[in-house]
Amino acid sequence: MFSTGSKYFFGVSFLGAVSFGIYMFLIGESAIGATALFGLVAASGLLTALLLSTRDGAKDEDGVAATTAAPTGSIWPLIAAVGTTLVLVGTITTPVVTLFGIVVLLAALIEWTVLSWSERASSDVAYNTALRKRLLNPIEFPVLAAVGLGVVIFSFSRVTLAVNKSVGATAFILLGALVLAAGVLFSIRPNLKRGLVIGICVVGAVGIVAAGITGMGLGVREELVLAKEEGHYVHQQCGAEKSEFFDKRPLGGVSATASVDTHIDLIDGKLVAMVQGVTKGQNTITISRSNPTNIVFRNNSNGEYRLVASLGSKMVTAGVSEDVVQCTQLIPQGSEQLLTLKVPKPSVAGKPYTLTVPGLTGQSIEVIVP
Amino acid sequence: MRHQNTTERTATGINRLAGMHRRVIGVVAGLATTMFLASCATNAPQDTWKPKGPNAQKIDNLQKPVFAIAGIIGVIVTVVVITAVIKFRDKGQPMPRQSHGNPALEITLTIIPALILTIVGVFTVRTVFDLAKTSDTEMIINVTGQQWWWEYDYPVQNEFGITQPIITSGQLVIPAGTKVLLRETSRDVIHSYWIPALNGKRDAVPGRVQLNRIEADKPGIYAGQCTEFCGLSHANMRMEAVALSKADFAKWVANQLKTYTPPAENTLAKEGEAVFMNQCTRCHQVNGMKRADGTPVIAAPDENLVSGAAPNLSHLMSRNTFAGATFDLLNTTCRKDVWGADSESFGAKYLSGVSESCLNQTDLRGWLRNAPGMKPMYSNPALLASTGGKYRGMPNLGLTESDIEKLVAYLLTLK
Repeated sequence: MFSTGSKYFFGVSFLGAVSFGIYMFLIGESAIGATALFGLVAASGLLTALLLSTRDGAKDEDGVAATTAAPTGSIWPLIAAVGTTLVLVGTITTPVVTLFGIVVLLAALIEWTVLSWSERASSDVAYNTALRKRLLNPIEFPVLAAVGLGVVIFSFSRVTLAVNKSVGATAFILLGALVLAAGVLFSIRPNLKRGLVIGICVVGAVGIVAAGITGMGLGVREELVLAKEEGHYVHQQCGAEKSEFFDKRPLGGVSATASVDTHIDLIDGKLVAMVQGVTKGQNTITISRSNPTNIVFRNNSNGEYRLVASLGSKMVTAGVSEDVVQCTQLIPQGSEQLLTLKVPKPSVAGKPYTLTVPGLTGQSIEVIVP
Repeated sequence: MRHQNTTERTATGINRLAGMHRRVIGVVAGLATTMFLASCATNAPQDTWKPKGPNAQKIDNLQKPVFAIAGIIGVIVTVVVITAVIKFRDKGQPMPRQSHGNPALEITLTIIPALILTIVGVFTVRTVFDLAKTSDTEMIINVTGQQWWWEYDYPVQNEFGITQPIITSGQLVIPAGTKVLLRETSRDVIHSYWIPALNGKRDAVPGRVQLNRIEADKPGIYAGQCTEFCGLSHANMRMEAVALSKADFAKWVANQLKTYTPPAENTLAKEGEAVFMNQCTRCHQVNGMKRADGTPVIAAPDENLVSGAAPNLSHLMSRNTFAGATFDLLNTTCRKDVWGADSESFGAKYLSGVSESCLNQTDLRGWLRNAPGMKPMYSNPALLASTGGKYRGMPNLGLTESDIEKLVAYLLTLK
């Protein structure tokens, strides 16, 4: 009754229906998960019906390709089943697993479909194999190469994050030199034994992956842990510096650089606000309420200065309030630093909001929140 | 006999072809009539072909010739394709001789479109740069979009008499003949600000400030619409730019800077103020409002709304709209009077604000009775788990008819 192709989709459909039932009655609160599973059931059910009605696409007995060879054993159904499982597991764990499952499933379906088609293309097995390769190798090789490179790069990045910064740089230089040397060797000695070339590549890749796994086991180096704890890009701690590991020029971030509302310039001991779209310097800035607003403090005066944003006070507990203050770090002349302000209350709520620079008297920019 | 059958079949085919021609002609005629009738609309405030300011005029100067060129090319291509389809359709004729390539024709057909596109491109790029010019800006207004209304705040600009910041919503008030720079951003999702009569559209993106210059030639009201899909009530996210003469604009500024006057004691409006303080100030600010102990009333939209802001209702009745310009504060008669006014009398009519006799009681009361029933706003309390209990718009406050009566009386005092 069931054709070969329809069996698989019937199985997926059945499994999806069971998963849908379990998800709906035992786990699910999310409409997305239910929709995904129902979609799977519907799609695979449709494909089952389609394959049954067309008998796997065979119009009639005469239309069946004239192959006499038995189909080869294939690993793709197994991989497709793993992909399907991952998709289902992802709906109740994390979307990344679902995404990975979809990729695996799609790859397996493409490979399996092309393999099945090519095996029925003619009665010549060698021709059929060549046909499959001609179709899929242009996709398989770049994808596998990208995945392999990704694994190597990711592994090496774990090493550089785990070891001392200078050791990491040295290792990078050495590895680069080794890769270059191997490349040169392969190009000037094209007649090297195939086994030797493969051996060098495998040893190198396995070595890097092993080093990466070791690096992951060791964890990132201490200074990066500290920097993460203290906030790499939004350092808002006033008072003495606690860490020496901060990036003094955090505006490398594209999003921050592209989204600056106002530059606060300290030029020869005078503060001035350069508001985007306004040509003249201002001594007040207006920012909208409850909306994160990026301002950049640029120190163009001799000496180290920080910008301090005094943004009123907030209630901590009943009857107890504390001042809301945000600061940049002390930054040297020629440096700049980002500060993101989000003020939930209007200026009329209390004392004026200001931007000041400790150590400079008479220099203040009023922050108006309508 | 066979010959007779062939003749009959030919006649049937010709009849079918004639029938098909009639249907095609009918469809084309229907479409053309629909397009023609659509172009006759008189009440089309967002018509992109009627510029009312220099920026929109620049766009118009570009779009008309480009539209003409594109239209002519479109007609030529369509005619050629249809002719080819009909003339060379399969009639059982032998397969014509196959040929590959005609260098002269191909080069010609490449060069001509390239030239046309180059000419269009030059003028387009020039217009884009013209529209981006902000160096001669005369006035600045910050525009903040959120689901589903626009907030306008005017930074201090002494040359326009704005000695304190002004905040309003729904209607953007500008002086006519003045180059106004809108600094646009958003508090939640991407919106897009577009008043077709004054300029092209510009996205308002969270975390970014986008610049958009507008200028109105004459006093009047110019309608617009958010043009970036932004959620459930995107279609209700409207805006209106109100251009006033410079003298009238100065009067408007002076009114906006007036300090808050609480309603007289023992009046319905005073009772309404108490209801407002109890219910509405959870989100809505009225500048200058104070409690009985003299402390200022500060709204807390950050605790109740996803966007962290609700329209500031100071001087509400100086506007003609509410709820993100979705509804008119003026009733139909008074609205027609303002919208239909000529540019000389418009300012005085607009500045008269909303009196009790002109108030659109139906919509305002309906709004207070059940806001989400009038404008969809995801405000079912049972569905707020993903937003930490915060709303995306005004919920149903469950006000009594008595409360609504008092609130309407109070809101009418916010001139």
